Amino acid sequence: MKSRKLCWVAALAGSLCGCIKDAPLNPEADIESFTIDKSNLTGDVFIDQSKGRIRLYLTRTAYDSGVVPTIKITPGATITPASGDSLKFDSAGIKKYTVISPSGVNKKTYTIELVNIGNWKFDFEKWGIDKTFPEIPFETLEGEDGSAIWSSGNLGVGLAGVSNPKEFPLRSTTDAYQGKLAAELETRPGTELSMGFMNIYLFAGSLFMGNFDLGSAFQNPLKSTQFGQPYAGEPARFTGYYKYKPGPVFQDEKGNPVAGKTDECSIYAVLYTGTSRLDATNIFTSERIIATAVLPDGSAKADWTHFDIPFTFKKSYDPNVPMMMAIVASSSKDGNYYRGAVGSRLLLDNIEIVKK
Amino acid sequence: MKNRIIVLLIVMLTAGSPLFAQDHKTATSFKPVLEHRILAGFNFGATAPVGLPNTIRKINSYWSEFSPSLGYELSYRATSKWGAAIGVKLDYKGMQVKDEVMYFPTIITTKDGASFSGDFTGKNKTIVHNAYVTIPVSAVFTPNDRWRFNLGGYAAWLFSSSFYGSVHDGYIRNGGSTGEKIIIDEATFDFGKELRKFDIGLQGGAAYRVGKKLSVTGNLAWGLRPIFSDDFKGMDFPMYNIYLMLGVAYKI
Repeated sequence: MKSRKLCWVAALAGSLCGCIKDAPLNPEADIESFTIDKSNLTGDVFIDQSKGRIRLYLTRTAYDSGVVPTIKITPGATITPASGDSLKFDSAGIKKYTVISPSGVNKKTYTIELVNIGNWKFDFEKWGIDKTFPEIPFETLEGEDGSAIWSSGNLGVGLAGVSNPKEFPLRSTTDAYQGKLAAELETRPGTELSMGFMNIYLFAGSLFMGNFDLGSAFQNPLKSTQFGQPYAGEPARFTGYYKYKPGPVFQDEKGNPVAGKTDECSIYAVLYTGTSRLDATNIFTSERIIATAVLPDGSAKADWTHFDIPFTFKKSYDPNVPMMMAIVASSSKDGNYYRGAVGSRLLLDNIEIVKK
Repeated sequence: MKNRIIVLLIVMLTAGSPLFAQDHKTATSFKPVLEHRILAGFNFGATAPVGLPNTIRKINSYWSEFSPSLGYELSYRATSKWGAAIGVKLDYKGMQVKDEVMYFPTIITTKDGASFSGDFTGKNKTIVHNAYVTIPVSAVFTPNDRWRFNLGGYAAWLFSSSFYGSVHDGYIRNGGSTGEKIIIDEATFDFGKELRKFDIGLQGGAAYRVGKKLSVTGNLAWGLRPIFSDDFKGMDFPMYNIYLMLGVAYKI
């Protein structure tokens, strides 16, 4: 009888600390890095993992003669075409890479996307759908050729658990200055997830030129907004049209209302040297900044208002140095510190970087 | 009555194995009798899968939460050896575990219903602390005046629940293994509200009499109903309440 009891105890102990099984085969199938010789690039390669895109920013010579990438994938996975195969940008060239996980079960396809901004004039007429979160597809602003020039904090907001596509801070609106559509940026309240885990009580509507790096969104959200695209030439002015209505109650980063303070919008362009992008932590402080054009008046504007801001140069312009241009707009000026007013609404249309 | 308890305690403490020789005569002239017992003890065990899934790579530490159990048992001894019992108990069942997982499907749920799910690789800490009102029903076998065995089932109603923890030093893949990789320094989860309100299972144990009315007892309760419903996505394997109560039974 005693032994019966012992059996139970043994069975219990066995079920708890018992057998750790063999490790599962790796089900991941990533391109972890895609390296091309720096001399071929006008901007750092960006791998958009959520959409399976490899964005390349190439010099004219590299585009004409092709490049040879070194591709790092999930250890044990297989890739076709292989790393080291040359990439040519003609009709017969490689368009896609397929990675198969070590477990053999999962397959991931990456499409090569060339990003080249010929004309720095944007009318915000072309919008697509981002399906990173399949159950909550949200709008995304596309370049003329459908490529991803523009980005926003929408991906981060999706990650924080916004469940309604209409509640994303950046979307299109038919209230346009010209054409059919314009960009609408609205400061949104935080979600339970963002408030509970990340102490983020609001999401400012944002629209910026560059990429959103979802990978660092939980660790350091300010680093996930990678501002800028390769730029050539000397800019003279930053122009466009906007409308702005601040939300009723300004709140601090802890979500407490601040009496007597009104939200402001921000619209600016920054030109800087190099091929790697600045982010929200250093876009105003980096040593690499050459020139800025910042909207001086972020107050309410009931009607479409024209802005025409000359670039202020901090350093002299050197045509031989690679440069990047960032355009950033936010419905709450201090949105990067999670301060602002829920409901602040910024409309933006027909913006342009005018060259000298 | 008070004096008798004091006497009993003294007897217990000093003698340890006291004198009950006169009870042997009951075997020959047994009359069915109702017995009442107070049961008190602590639950040790786990809310765990039966057989660890291969996504759990390492158990770094485990310890029991403060999980008291207190109850009353009414038994009917039909013959000198056989009887039946029914009880009512307040049972806390809890544990803490720190482990390491790989490609572990889980979910971060928010109160407003939104959720973020994916496969997590990294470290995990889970704290379970649930309180149940348990009704155990048993057949009772009393081979002699020292030992008493019971075997039966139980039904339990959850009235207070917590099932929460944190994931850290790892990453989650949004939506599945090929989704976006998001580095997680630290994030939390709370599945307390997802627990089923009703648990049912098998239970059985033994008691060894150490005093005139006092026995030491061990009773294993093995839940047969997964604590989360099948459509819950936070854990992709069924987990059961498996707890051993160690304590005392006092006959009143």
